[in-house]
Parts: sequence; structure tokens; C-alpha cells
Amino acid sequence: MTQRHIWLNVGGLIGLVVLLALVYWRNTGSRAVPGLIESLNDADASVRIMATEGLARIGSPAKASVAGLLNHALHDANHSARTNAAAALKTIDLLAARQVMDAYLPALQDQDVQVRRAACEVLGSLGPVAKPAVPALVKVAQDPDDLVRDRAVRALGHIGIPGPEVTSALTRALHDRAFTVRHAAVAEYAFSTMASGETVAVLTALLKDEQKTIASLAQIALDKARQDLKSEAATLAYMLSGNGAKDYALLQVAKLGPNAAGVVPVLIQTLKDDVPLHRYLAAEALGAIGPGAKEAVPALTAGVNDPDPVVRRSVIEALAAIGSAPATGANILPVQ
Amino acid sequence: MHTTDNHSRAILTLAFYWGSILLGMILPWLLLLAFEISAHQRTLAQAFAYVRLHFFTPGYNFFLIGILNAVPFMIFSVFLLFHLGRTPVQEPAFFSRRMAGVLGALLLMFGVSFWTHVTTLVHPDAQGALAYLFLPLVLTVLMPLGYAGGRLVGKLWTR
Repeated sequence: MTQRHIWLNVGGLIGLVVLLALVYWRNTGSRAVPGLIESLNDADASVRIMATEGLARIGSPAKASVAGLLNHALHDANHSARTNAAAALKTIDLLAARQVMDAYLPALQDQDVQVRRAACEVLGSLGPVAKPAVPALVKVAQDPDDLVRDRAVRALGHIGIPGPEVTSALTRALHDRAFTVRHAAVAEYAFSTMASGETVAVLTALLKDEQKTIASLAQIALDKARQDLKSEAATLAYMLSGNGAKDYALLQVAKLGPNAAGVVPVLIQTLKDDVPLHRYLAAEALGAIGPGAKEAVPALTAGVNDPDPVVRRSVIEALAAIGSAPATGANILPVQ
Repeated sequence: MHTTDNHSRAILTLAFYWGSILLGMILPWLLLLAFEISAHQRTLAQAFAYVRLHFFTPGYNFFLIGILNAVPFMIFSVFLLFHLGRTPVQEPAFFSRRMAGVLGALLLMFGVSFWTHVTTLVHPDAQGALAYLFLPLVLTVLMPLGYAGGRLVGKLWTR
């Protein structure tokens, strides 16, 4: 082979590498949005679900998909596709997620148990964004149908805020006659919500539950309740300073309430985050901390003009919870 | 005579060069297709749709798995292109000996790559994805060992 032939083939390989890099670049990040929107109309439900998951990971830059996702969250023939589309919306557009919540709230009163179960699942998939649905879900947690109560309790666990209302509903569910409902509630205390006060007594009684799974989950929940809240808050603050699992850490901080006062400086920083869901959760967490978050008042006052109306509403509620009225003339738009 | 030999050697070299790059890249995708067909009872069309759907999906990234697997083969293919392509025309024995080394390295690399991908698919694990990251490094280390082994076997064969 001549030297020229050899170098021509090496050049061909470099060309192939460049082509592969271009293919990868074209199909990842916000560039993938048009393709994913197209996949939302695929006949195969698994393709539609995969597309919604992809859009959820992209987050705010996938704003162009909001109309499509909203349509799927409300009308897709497949229940999992509806739930996934709703879950995706919370990371892309909080207002659209609230629209989904409003659309599903009446379904909680439907005569058909399947419709009530499905509505609970969709509301749960919206996570903390569906906070205004908590009172309705608390009522549904006493539904005559076991599975509806189970789904309602799980949804309340996913929403997680406001802490006191969710906690009292979960604690009631610990006494439920149905195994699945007790299991859903005790699992929430074992793996997410910190038990305290009356809940600890109920969990202690559950150690003698006839179902061994529930008894062992109650033990895990009680062990978790013995953890030092300050060190838990410090761990969450550390998680918030990194890039991963911010949603989870912020929700956990909100659940800790006044015990998370040490996290306030990190929450103030998070109020400036690019992701609306993070700003919303930071405002919710500050509101849950209450008067102990006084140092966040200037940052929250600035947040009254946040571009996202859902965040703005949450900021105003946080200021009220801290005991500081928002400045007059704040740009407050109605939130559905 | 020399011209004909030189031409066939060039074709063989180029076949190995492009063949190892392309096979290195598509080997994980072919194994995924075979796994989906055999383990999950999908048709070829369904398995193809599954692999295509997960090509760029975070958490799956089948495209990146193929590219990562191809990297050591790309490095080795450049070596083999210069190594075989610049063999003196008047020394046919040189070419055979070098070809034995190249074959040894490629067999070892493809064997280890095949085994790793099959094992990762058959025994899925939370840390399984680490295999895809470490495999290129392992294959790069194995290159000279496979080459030396191939040369040795070639030498014993022609003795």
C-alpha cells in the first residue's frame, strides 16, 4: 500500500468519528426534542412512554412539547402513558402540570372506581406540584374501595407537602383495615417521611401487625425516626449543593419543616435555580421552615417577580408562613 | 507477481481495517438484538424497534455502548493499517508473521468483548454499566498480549 492510501483510510476513520459525534449530538439534549415530540404520536404506547421520559429528562428546554404532553396526560388511551406525560410536565412547565391537576380533581369523585384509582395515580405522578390536590386526596383516602385508598395514600406520599396535612392522613392510613393501604403508609414512613409524636406510637403498635412485612417496615420507620434531624438536614444540604437528586432533597427538606432551619442558606441559593421546579420546592421548603427562615425574606421578596406564576404563588405563601407580607404591587397572576 | 500479491495484501489489510472497526461498533447492538429475540421472545422487527428506541435514551444509551466498544478496535485498526500496509513487498513471510499477530490480537479482543457483553446482558446488575466503561481499557491492555500470542502461534505453526 502506498503512503497516500494509508493516510486516506486514516482520514476516512476520522470522518467516521466526526459523523458519529454529529449523530450523537443531533439526538441528545434539547436537539432531540423534535424527534421525541414526533414519537409522542407513535402507535406503540411504550414508544410514547419512552418519549415522555426523554422529554422529562431534558426539562425546561423541552417547552415545545408542553401541548403534546398535556394532550397525552389528559387523553392518551394508555393509563401509563397518561401518568408518564403528567410526570414529565412537572419538570418542564409547572403551570401545565397544574392544569393536569385541575383536570383530574373532579375524577376523584367519579362513580367508577377505575377512574378514581387512575386519577389518584396521575395526581401522585405530579409530585409536590399537586400540593393543592392534598385536601381532596385526604378525603379520597377514606374511600370505600381499598385500591382507591391505596392509590390516594401513595399519591399523598409522593406529593409530601404540606407536611402536617399529609402526615395526619398517612398516620390515619396506618390503622387501615386493608393490608395494601397500611403497607403504602408504613413504607412512606420507612423510606421517606420522618415519623414523630403520635405516629411513633402507631408505628410501635404496628410492630405486632399480623403481616410480617408491615411489622418489619414499622421497625425501619422507627429506626429512621430515631435519627438526628440536624444531621439529616446537613446531609440534605450537602445533596443540594451537588447536581443530583435535587428534587428529592428539596422535598425532604420541606418535610423536615422547622427542623431544617440550617438548610436556609442553600435554599436561598436554590431560589435562583434555572429549573422552575427547584425554585418552587425551595420556596415550599422555606415556607415549611416558617419563622426560622427569616434570613430568606429578601430573596423571597425578589422571588415575588419570578417568571413562573406557580413559583410566585409559592413564594407569597412562604413569605406569609415566615410572617412577612409580600411587597405591594407584586406581579401576582392567578394560578389555576 | 509482486504487483498481484501487493494488491491482494492491500485488499486484505483494508478488509481487516474497516471490518474490525465496524464489527467492534455493531457487536454490542447485534448481541442486544439476539438477546431480545431469545430472552424476551421478540420478533426481529420488535427487537430492532426496541434497540432503536433505546439508542439515545439516558440510562440505556445503546449508541454510546457501541461507540465505547469500538474505540479500542479503532486504535488497533490504525496500528494494523500501518503495520500490514507498510510491509516490504519483497518479504512475503513478513506479512504472514504480522498477519498472525494481528489475527491473535483481534481474536482475543473480540472474544473478550463478546463474553463481556453477553455476561452483562444475561446477568444484569445495578453496577453492570461499569463493564461498558472498563471494557475499552481492558481491550487496549489486551492488544499487545494478543498480538504477541498470535506471533508466537504463527511462528510455531510455520516451524
